[in-house]
Amino acid sequence: MLRPARIATAVFVAVVSGLAAPGVRAATESEAGARTVISETVEEVLAVLRDKTVPTEDRIRSIEQIVYGRFDLYVMSRLVLARSWKRFSEEQKAEYVEEFKKYLTNSYGSRIERYDQQRVEIVGEREEARGDVVIQTKIVGGEFEGALVDYRLRNQNGEWRVIDIVIEGISMVSNYRDQFKSIVSSGGPELLLEKLKEKNAAGMTID
Amino acid sequence: MRSWGDPEPRTRLGALAVIAAALTAAVSCAHIDGEPDPSDPWERMNRGTFRFNEGADRWVVEPVAKGIDFVLPDPVERSIRKFFDNSMFPVYFGNDLLQFKPVSAVEDLARFVINTTIGIAGFFDPASRFGLEGHREDFGQTLGYWGVPPGPYLVLPILGPSNPRDSVGLAADSFSTVYPWFVPFWVSSAITTGNRLNQRSLALDEIAAERRAALDYYVAVRNAYLNYRENQVRDQEEDEADDDDLYYLD
Repeated sequence: MLRPARIATAVFVAVVSGLAAPGVRAATESEAGARTVISETVEEVLAVLRDKTVPTEDRIRSIEQIVYGRFDLYVMSRLVLARSWKRFSEEQKAEYVEEFKKYLTNSYGSRIERYDQQRVEIVGEREEARGDVVIQTKIVGGEFEGALVDYRLRNQNGEWRVIDIVIEGISMVSNYRDQFKSIVSSGGPELLLEKLKEKNAAGMTID
Repeated sequence: MRSWGDPEPRTRLGALAVIAAALTAAVSCAHIDGEPDPSDPWERMNRGTFRFNEGADRWVVEPVAKGIDFVLPDPVERSIRKFFDNSMFPVYFGNDLLQFKPVSAVEDLARFVINTTIGIAGFFDPASRFGLEGHREDFGQTLGYWGVPPGPYLVLPILGPSNPRDSVGLAADSFSTVYPWFVPFWVSSAITTGNRLNQRSLALDEIAAERRAALDYYVAVRNAYLNYRENQVRDQEEDEADDDDLYYLD
């Protein structure tokens, strides 16, 4: 009964998706390098997420190690502060990078239980004018099915490091930049450090 | 999301205004640190509305959404979301055409046909599995595509983050949704409210976590809304000038 309809549908889908298929292009060397970093990181993180025999706290520590090994937290911290960076003394800068890292762990670590049913598919990549590479991924399955997540990587001393994560057009760097900007402009670096420490001291509540 | 088309939105707002009055009475006037953001000249008013919305959420919307979440398993909630998404087809299709995107229009039409039949009235989304992704164009995006600027950030009561362009878009889209013309007001209100509550119940943990983590939740939401919409208008194409500003400090 269903067969003719299914065949017709399949043909229709094939034609339509054929219309929409983007031109295939070989990846550049940079793109391939950056891509490897992302696919390896994703695989390692997902493996930890799925291993429910390990307590949540320990899994967060493992993910922290995997992720921060591939993040350029210094560049990320600088980009978040943008023009405010200059207002920080050397000591404050070091302190800020450290607190920002803790803050990221607390903000995202608590959510790890939500991400265990998903897979991540690399759907595209592009090299930017000034050498950064963006790896485009899509989440398959689970809670956030279909969400597009872009990773921006920069090459420092021959190694590709993530400097931003952009979810459906929402950039982490941009979002924190906007939040931190008004705090620094009203209360200086001291106020931002104080607020970050306050959040970090409240610690992480695991959902 | 679609309650703009409802003929008497005041009834619902009236009931919430009572709660809001009680809530806002306890809170002091909006306080803004530092220089105002150029994208948000109405920040003082917006923060007030945002606080009202947060109150309504905490005391009414979130508790109800938690109830829904307790009763319905997540896959069922996701299916309901898909059903509503599928029923938005006239809006998506019309806006594909208004943006001169015939391929998107055909794809969205194919999605509607497949998901309404094989996907059982839209509760399932087999079309995505065939590689047919939805485009979800709305009239706010169409206006953006035509070159209408978004205007200042604007927080609407109950409806949440918006701007003048998207507010007009929301109103226009609600007229092209078919069912409110054929069913009594209370039915279309119930459907709209049900859709929103279902969506809220899918986001319980995410919103709770973001509220807890953000140093300035109002700014976090504003930034997310502005970038998300801009990205939708550009159809995920990058904006080089914007990126330069974000990623290079020289």
